[in-house]
Amino acid sequence: QVSELVQFLLVKDQKKIPIKRADMLKNVIREYRDAYSEIVNRAGRTLQEVGGVRQGKGRVLGETPCGLTLVPPQVFGLQLVEIDTKRHIYILINNLPHAEGEYLCRGKEKEKMGLLLVILSFIFMKGNSVKDSEAAQCHPSLTLIPRKQHSVFGDLRKLLTEEFVRQKYLETTPIPLTDPPEFKFQWGPRAEKETSKKDVLNFVAKIQGKDPTFWASQYSEADAAR
Amino acid sequence: ENREAMLNSKSNRLTEALEEANRLFDGVCRAREAALDAQFLVIASNIGKEKANELHSEMSAFDSTAFAEDLLTFMGINRTEVEESDDSEDVPGGFLPSDAWQTLGEEAAKYFRRAPTFHYMMGSFKSDPPVPKQRIERQKKASRGKAERAMPAQLKRMEESHQEATEKEVERILRILQTHFENDPNTPISFFDFVIDPNSFARTVENMFHVSFLTRDGLARIKLDEDDLPIIEPIKPSEEGEEDSRAGARNQVVISLDQKEWK
Repeated sequence: QVSELVQFLLVKDQKKIPIKRADMLKNVIREYRDAYSEIVNRAGRTLQEVGGVRQGKGRVLGETPCGLTLVPPQVFGLQLVEIDTKRHIYILINNLPHAEGEYLCRGKEKEKMGLLLVILSFIFMKGNSVKDSEAAQCHPSLTLIPRKQHSVFGDLRKLLTEEFVRQKYLETTPIPLTDPPEFKFQWGPRAEKETSKKDVLNFVAKIQGKDPTFWASQYSEADAAR
Repeated sequence: ENREAMLNSKSNRLTEALEEANRLFDGVCRAREAALDAQFLVIASNIGKEKANELHSEMSAFDSTAFAEDLLTFMGINRTEVEESDDSEDVPGGFLPSDAWQTLGEEAAKYFRRAPTFHYMMGSFKSDPPVPKQRIERQKKASRGKAERAMPAQLKRMEESHQEATEKEVERILRILQTHFENDPNTPISFFDFVIDPNSFARTVENMFHVSFLTRDGLARIKLDEDDLPIIEPIKPSEEGEEDSRAGARNQVVISLDQKEWK
């Protein structure tokens, strides 16, 4: 049951949409409901066990898109994290800090991560929330005019307000009584787990060639958040 | 209406508006007016909250323009007047090379703890006890039409998500094929060049598997060239109808490829 759950989680994670406990129960655990927490714990441990992805010979479990060999089952280095304790929703993140770009060699994934990082940085540096009308300011090639296609990302509005929101990287909240209705962007729970204010501030600092302490209040906020 | 004016930290408009509202409220004796007042309070408090936020971020002002400029530099912007190529992205102030977002993404990956995604599982999940009993079932789709060696095994229960992932892959491969063909419609694409991944045997097999979907669905065709080597080309939507009416157009090809041959 544990290995079935592990595989279920890995497959579900492909689209980065968070996994609900109900789905796990329905599809994998079923009659073993009573052992649910035990099974989930063990699955979590299996995913975690030491290592990470490396090139090499070994029994092949599967291939990541870049053709790296994974030696089962102890070499995942992943963590199962509950991002919603009320509704029991989980995501998989990488235990190994700062995975190298080789994990994301599918071009589109990499490009989206670049865009996402820019947006998350912008949101944080602007005080943790940004209005939809301002969001396009973070990069000159971005515009959130509906149906205007971006040369790389296509329908940008859809990417931000649907895909990234479904994956829990971003959250949108309507601003009450605005006409026409406006909303604001904030970090979603996946962003909170997969990166940090400190990381993001370091990114901004690197891009601008300054020390992170240059932005005093953001720096202290990032520090406090650890 | 004057939201922006009120947000201006130097303005007292918000305070004035609140005082005015207070004065007006004394004269209220109808429910409708009270409701308007309540609405006003909500808006006013939102503006107040935003003002407070602005004050906070003004402490360490973040210059988004400078950030955007520096980002463009990092991404390799070409600031000359001349457009580099058709692929370049047009941004104010210059052109970004076509791999600009890749460059940024490469850097961005370091800041995320993102789990790698598994798209393809070959064989059974061999682990220490308990060994799972898995029913490996050939996907029904794949057994029709072209057959290849080492078909990917698939757990019955995961059929659904695996199917979606497969469909997505197939779409992606079709797009790649079409792009290659558009760029150079007169040079045939060698089937083996197209599917073989020099670094991964498993990936090669995976590619062949996905290509088989394309041929099955009439989106691509494989022909033999003068040297009897297979070439692949996409089928334009306009051709689709003709293909069906031609009798005997379907062929079956069994391609066997083992690791030694692949090497």
